[in-house]
Amino acid sequence: MEFGWSPQEQAHRQRIRDLLEEALPEDWEAHSAHGPGSGYQTDFSLQFCPMLAERDLLVPNWPRAFGGQDAPVWQQFILGEEMWAAGEPRGAQYMNVNWIGPTLMKFGTPEQIDRYLPPIREGRAIWCQGFSEPSAGSDLAALRTQAVPVEGGYRVTGAKIWTSYAGRADHCFLLARVAPRAGGSAGKASILILLVDMASPGIQVKQIPALIGEGDIHELFLDDVFVPEANRLGAEGQAWDIITAALQNERTGIARYEFSRRMLDRAVERLKARGRWDDPTVRERAAQALMLCEAARLLVYRVVDARARDLPADAFPSVARWAVVQADNGVNDFLTECMPEGLTGSDPVQVAHHQRAIAAGIASGAAEIQLNLIARRWLELPGEPKR
Amino acid sequence: MNFEPTQDQSSVLSALDSLLQPFEASPVEPVPYAYAGALAETLAESGFGDIAGVDGFGPLDAALVVERVARVPQVVEIAATALIAGALGLPADPRPLALASGSALNAARFLPMARRLVVLHDSHADLVTPADGAVEPVESLLAYPYGHLRTLEGARIERFEDAELVRRRWRIGIAAEAAGCMAAALAVVVDHVKSRFAFGRPLGSLQAIQHRLAMAAETAESARWLALRAAWADSDADAAIAAGFAQSRIAGFTYDLHQFSGAMGLTLEFPLHFWTYRLRALAGELGGAGAQARAAAAAVWGDTAGSRAA
Repeated sequence: MEFGWSPQEQAHRQRIRDLLEEALPEDWEAHSAHGPGSGYQTDFSLQFCPMLAERDLLVPNWPRAFGGQDAPVWQQFILGEEMWAAGEPRGAQYMNVNWIGPTLMKFGTPEQIDRYLPPIREGRAIWCQGFSEPSAGSDLAALRTQAVPVEGGYRVTGAKIWTSYAGRADHCFLLARVAPRAGGSAGKASILILLVDMASPGIQVKQIPALIGEGDIHELFLDDVFVPEANRLGAEGQAWDIITAALQNERTGIARYEFSRRMLDRAVERLKARGRWDDPTVRERAAQALMLCEAARLLVYRVVDARARDLPADAFPSVARWAVVQADNGVNDFLTECMPEGLTGSDPVQVAHHQRAIAAGIASGAAEIQLNLIARRWLELPGEPKR
Repeated sequence: MNFEPTQDQSSVLSALDSLLQPFEASPVEPVPYAYAGALAETLAESGFGDIAGVDGFGPLDAALVVERVARVPQVVEIAATALIAGALGLPADPRPLALASGSALNAARFLPMARRLVVLHDSHADLVTPADGAVEPVESLLAYPYGHLRTLEGARIERFEDAELVRRRWRIGIAAEAAGCMAAALAVVVDHVKSRFAFGRPLGSLQAIQHRLAMAAETAESARWLALRAAWADSDADAAIAAGFAQSRIAGFTYDLHQFSGAMGLTLEFPLHFWTYRLRALAGELGGAGAQARAAAAAVWGDTAGSRAA
């Protein structure tokens, strides 16, 4: 058992920090506060990610056969920690690296792999994730967007909501259901995954003004959009397994606790400068938030460790996700109470943290769904009896 | 970073599992504050309490042992012996080793059967060997045998300058013991809600209960990994974080577990009290969660505007 970093891992982290120091503009903090989906950050990611790719730092964890470096799992994770804590200069592309690319590698056809992976590993692809719908959020299996089989593909009609990054995306990783009239059912077996070109006729995107940052969430309307059969990922009926595997990566993919921890460090420096650190109550509150961050860090590390050791998947990622939500909110509560001025114009980074924190328990499925999963799959508690 | 126990650690834990096996059943007529003398003797003979001082082992291995022993529904001292005695250069025997903070006259766990007491002061620690007959048992609802010194007269006192070492190891001990108690308490209640039916369904199928037990699972896991990291790092900051986290969660954790056990959880027959009443005792040690939080803040960020962490 070892809770420290190897010299190679430390050097890797330092290399990333040096690179961020060199590559991020002086006014990065103010810009990054708008969030990974903002126009500025999307444009920036299209310069920054190719630079990462040139230095083998965009997809180092990918297998060499797919253009990666076969780097250890921990190296990729350290990269993610540093990027998220720095305001995620990869913009929406972190998602490509973490789960869209790996999912395509595992389940895509050779043609799909040849078509979609090169732009991802070169840092010039923006994807969005078309999962949630007005009546299917955390209850993803209730989705209604219909895919009607037609000659050569599908005609897709429906509406997606809360779709991050859709405003600038080239492609959408879309979930739809084969219509009952066309042989589909209401269950998970009729769900399929389509890799949709966002320039297809019939697609409309509308940004939703929100508390959580510019360009983060959208409505996506699909009106009789033709999607070639060659763009279906996996077989009909296989989609749920693919999504489950992909979401396991997504749910612990973002090192939220690291950003929260750095916000705490930053807040303490400011509290000291403003003479408020001498108050023992403030110190106590800061450390309570710190405890939540460190607990979340260790539980996430436990998940990554299991992945690094190739252990079978279990429900522990849900335990970790709950801890991460507690940490994000614990730090946010501390900052809101002890650094209120940060939310009234003096600190765009605190505003950004606040925006990330209030979404932490909702994005990627409500945190309460994680509690259900912990109860059923970790504690093995019984399900509700059938009525 | 590697969460897998080493081969040595796996061997130790496996041997410990075998050794603890006869002690896993709850006593038939439990007395909450009774000391498990037979288990103490077995642990002493096996040398698990001295593991931190064995070549190739250290505080992490001691914390693993403390955490595992705490899962047993028996009350026995091992944290102070495994984490503090050796660190102070003291022999493991005579056991148990009692700990008090602030004053030698304060009530201390295990003091009625201990022949040694470490008293932690702000800037130093004293090893007190009480005079015969100086210890008086203290009755308590908490699941440890408590006692206090009536007098220091006739006691032998040896001074140790490194108070921080004692405080740090004590915190690691609190964290590791709390983590073990949490894991065992949660397991017994999970079993209970699976088998106890109400309104025609198992209690454990009710979402109101499932969610709170899921949160309890996160608490137990967090407490465990924070304790183990603190023991690995043997650092003031991590020790305060680990103990403070565990202590801050004890009230809610124990409330929920008793609540889901109903009136059964208030009986001595149901073993939950072995762990929850140790947890409630640990919640207040070394000043409780607030004191640990202030200590963590001081260790990580410094405790004054001009200060930096060590």
